[in-house]
Amino acid sequence: MSGDVWVYSESEGVSAEVASAAQDVARGASAEVRVVDIGSPRQGIRGSGVRLLLKGPSGPDVSPAVAAEALARAAKDLSPVAVLLGATRDGREAASRLAAKLGVGCMAEVVKLASDGQGVTGERNVYAGKVVAKTRCQFPAVVTVKTGAYPRAEALPERTQEVEVGQVSDRSKVVGREKKAAGGVDLRSAKVIVSAGRGVKKREDLSMLEDLAVTMHGALGCSRPLSADLGWLPEEHHIGLTGVTVKPDLYLAIGISGQLQHVAGMKDSKIVASINTDKDAPIFQASDYCIVGDLYQVVPALRRALSARR
Amino acid sequence: MKIAVCVKHAVDEAELRLDTEGRPVLAGAAGKMSTFDKNAVEEGLRLKSAHQGEVVVFVVGAAESKKTLKEALAMGADRGVFVAADPLVIDALRTASMLAAAIRRSGPYDVVICSEGSSDTYTGQVPPMLGELLGVAYVGYARKIEVTGGSARVERSLEDSVEAVETSVPFAVSVVSEINEPRYPTLVQIMQASKKPIEELNGGEIAPPGTISGVEVVSMSSQPSTRKHVMIEGGPDEAAAKLLDALSREGVLK
Repeated sequence: MSGDVWVYSESEGVSAEVASAAQDVARGASAEVRVVDIGSPRQGIRGSGVRLLLKGPSGPDVSPAVAAEALARAAKDLSPVAVLLGATRDGREAASRLAAKLGVGCMAEVVKLASDGQGVTGERNVYAGKVVAKTRCQFPAVVTVKTGAYPRAEALPERTQEVEVGQVSDRSKVVGREKKAAGGVDLRSAKVIVSAGRGVKKREDLSMLEDLAVTMHGALGCSRPLSADLGWLPEEHHIGLTGVTVKPDLYLAIGISGQLQHVAGMKDSKIVASINTDKDAPIFQASDYCIVGDLYQVVPALRRALSARR
Repeated sequence: MKIAVCVKHAVDEAELRLDTEGRPVLAGAAGKMSTFDKNAVEEGLRLKSAHQGEVVVFVVGAAESKKTLKEALAMGADRGVFVAADPLVIDALRTASMLAAAIRRSGPYDVVICSEGSSDTYTGQVPPMLGELLGVAYVGYARKIEVTGGSARVERSLEDSVEAVETSVPFAVSVVSEINEPRYPTLVQIMQASKKPIEELNGGEIAPPGTISGVEVVSMSSQPSTRKHVMIEGGPDEAAAKLLDALSREGVLK
């Protein structure tokens, strides 16, 4: 059973994406994909193959510390060639811990995975998305796969193999959990995003942009200063390197200067249109359609034109 | 309380030049303290003002990294440790092993603080690896840290939720930028920083490389912009109408 490519994410949806990436690695390495559950089995999607259940850890939640320890124990026994995790916040932590425990390299947030039979290759954005780095790691390797980059695999395992890894404890204890209030908005799945930047002068003025977003059946996002520095919107609206990564059909950047850190979060959008008073604003370099103008005039004009067309 | 803060002298992505083939020119590229590391230093200073003690700042990198160390000292850290290594060659696990060795030499520490990820390569791997290698509790993506005696309560900021975690001292932690507003050093502090001690270590000596091949960068290239860059002229109403026409043609208007 050695030489498999393992897939793990605390989120089943992300796990299905990572399974797609794992198929690309498994093909090049002539290996099999094994989707891992820790503690208790999850539903998964039916198909042919083997699901690996690591038994021992108990409790409803598997923390990154517990996941890493369980995976490390099982990996020492079964020697997978690669362990792939989703690059969520918890996934990055679990992967990094696992790599440190096993003493192997850890590739971060990669896309376009492949294998030459000796190791894994993958691409990732560096320098706030200005540059793409092609990275490689010898087997055995730990990899985190960028979320949203792969479609969910449809043929996931239906047979389960159990592996006893024993009790695993975490030095830290989760004592509370609260949903973040994002106003029911999921920017990752929005087809249209209207995004607000520092060009918006007052918090109240955001309602004008929100109104435009609603008219366009879209969601409201923002650049980092509006959520982190000014606190005008919850941080779940923050699009950028340290916030949400989005790829809507239409990204409408309003009063956003276009720092690299922001562009890193929206550069995979299908069409980008921007409104900014500064004709040299970097956002225009990342845009298909550019309006040099005052958002306080252009946004109401857009709103009027949209109403007139419906 | 003994507090270690790890910082990185990152490539300044805004200043980074590309050569004629679109490859980044990293030799001699301008550097700066990694953006979110200021939040890590700030949190260290806040913990010190609440609990007394000492803040020691660690950096792994080339000689220029000492600039970032001095910036942290100007913000108020007590002393610095510089670990010499070639930043273009070492991966996250090597970096973490050098930091762990340097921290062990001058430790033990009650709290080890990193930022969630560096502004240049942003792998976010060093903090959890460091926690593992030091063999202490680790909590990632903290937006609030409260230490009371031998225990700590930390709020973790995840994608869709906030998790409250209880852990015990000693622990390592990574912080997100919402945790605080970093202070700006005064001119006097900047001058005083040059008198604060910096210990110099060699990364290869304190953490021998071993047999791990690690992650290597095969090639780097810029992404060519595929955007259309159409400038839409006219007054607000004319520009709005032209934009909507264009977006309709693209089929992205619902």
